[in-house]
Amino acid sequence: MTDSSELARKGLPGGMFGEGSPTFLTTKVDFVVNWARRNSLWPMPFGTACCAIEMMASAASNHDLARFGMERMSFSPRQADVLICAGRVPYKLAPVLRRIWDQMPQPKWCVSMGACASSGGVFDVYSMVQGIDTIIPVDVYVPGCPPRPEALIYGLMMIQEKIRGETLAEHGINRFEDPDQAGHPRADDRTIQALSGPFGNSTKQNRTSGFVHTATTHRPDDRNP
Amino acid sequence: MNETTTLTELNGTELAHPSVPAVSARFPGGILRHEVVAGDEHIVYVDPGQSFAILEWLKTDPDQFYNYLSDVTAVDFGGGRPLQVVWQLFSIPHRRHLRVKAELPLDALEIDSVAGLWASANWLEREVWDMFGIHFRNHPDLRRILMPEHYAEGHPLRKDFPLRGRFSRAEQTRRALEHNPEDDYIPSQLEQGRAPQVVPWREIQQPGSTPSEGQES
Repeated sequence: MTDSSELARKGLPGGMFGEGSPTFLTTKVDFVVNWARRNSLWPMPFGTACCAIEMMASAASNHDLARFGMERMSFSPRQADVLICAGRVPYKLAPVLRRIWDQMPQPKWCVSMGACASSGGVFDVYSMVQGIDTIIPVDVYVPGCPPRPEALIYGLMMIQEKIRGETLAEHGINRFEDPDQAGHPRADDRTIQALSGPFGNSTKQNRTSGFVHTATTHRPDDRNP
Repeated sequence: MNETTTLTELNGTELAHPSVPAVSARFPGGILRHEVVAGDEHIVYVDPGQSFAILEWLKTDPDQFYNYLSDVTAVDFGGGRPLQVVWQLFSIPHRRHLRVKAELPLDALEIDSVAGLWASANWLEREVWDMFGIHFRNHPDLRRILMPEHYAEGHPLRKDFPLRGRFSRAEQTRRALEHNPEDDYIPSQLEQGRAPQVVPWREIQQPGSTPSEGQES
């Protein structure tokens, strides 16, 4: 440990870890960019039903989304990073949802909150979009009817974990949105049929059929430590 | 005949409805049947051709004065049976309810609009047209209200309509996204400080309408 006056004579001011330590850090660009993106995710609330009530509760004081960097609900898609689609989406609203997604600047992420947004839920009818992933790409599906605020926060933290694993080198591939595809369905017809068709038990479900494993669901990995 | 005996039996009892004998005396051929359901709810079945005159009289006659139209809706029982149009009336000064129904055969789904009598019938009749396909004559602006205006799959609350719609999900998704929400209005007219003004829907340039005209020329 050298004397501070000696350091001052050498022209080294006191750094952030005490006197004599350097005033800069070396790190990876990926880490810094991901750290910044991860901790300033502004949600764009697209609430259409009871899920939106839970979303409001997550933003309110008891659960306080702002603790995790969702400092402010961005009611303009221009300043939003993550779209939270909370509630059922009828086909009449589908072009609106697609346009809001197109208006969000990249990089952007999407949370499909609740059963109706993720799969149509109980509304397997003529008027309802069977999962918003037929319209826009979805990063995290939050199950529940509606999900509790903890579940939404968990879903948003999964997005944070997803950002943690992204690199700028692959970012253009992973997050690229073709401008010509704005306003169009996300996938081709066969994929939409596969995504939105009745699946598993839903075609013949009744109160006595019980649970039959359909191998269509798998559990996502838990949060990274 | 059975209905008329029911009607006369009810006269003088506490279940009697003062409007029912009055309207059947005023329109002898217009009242087809009379029913009492759920205790004291009176239903009058009217001839579809005279429905407008009967409803107009029920609204304007000082002894009836059904000045509040609670609901206009329709019922499809399926199996080729006629569709029922239902008017649920309420008289604020007399504090009386009356339900009026008209039965329309499936090949003649047309009836007079009452939007000129009750302004609230405007959107309700649009909803009945949208959901059941019943055409209301002399309606000022009969177009879809719940489903998108370009919806091509039919009228969803009819019993012969498949639950998941007529088109595939991919086709439904594509058609939904082809629709531009701004086709239904002019955005500058929705700016703050100006009165919102709905564009008459026939004047809106539809994206699919111009190419067909171009092919003909």
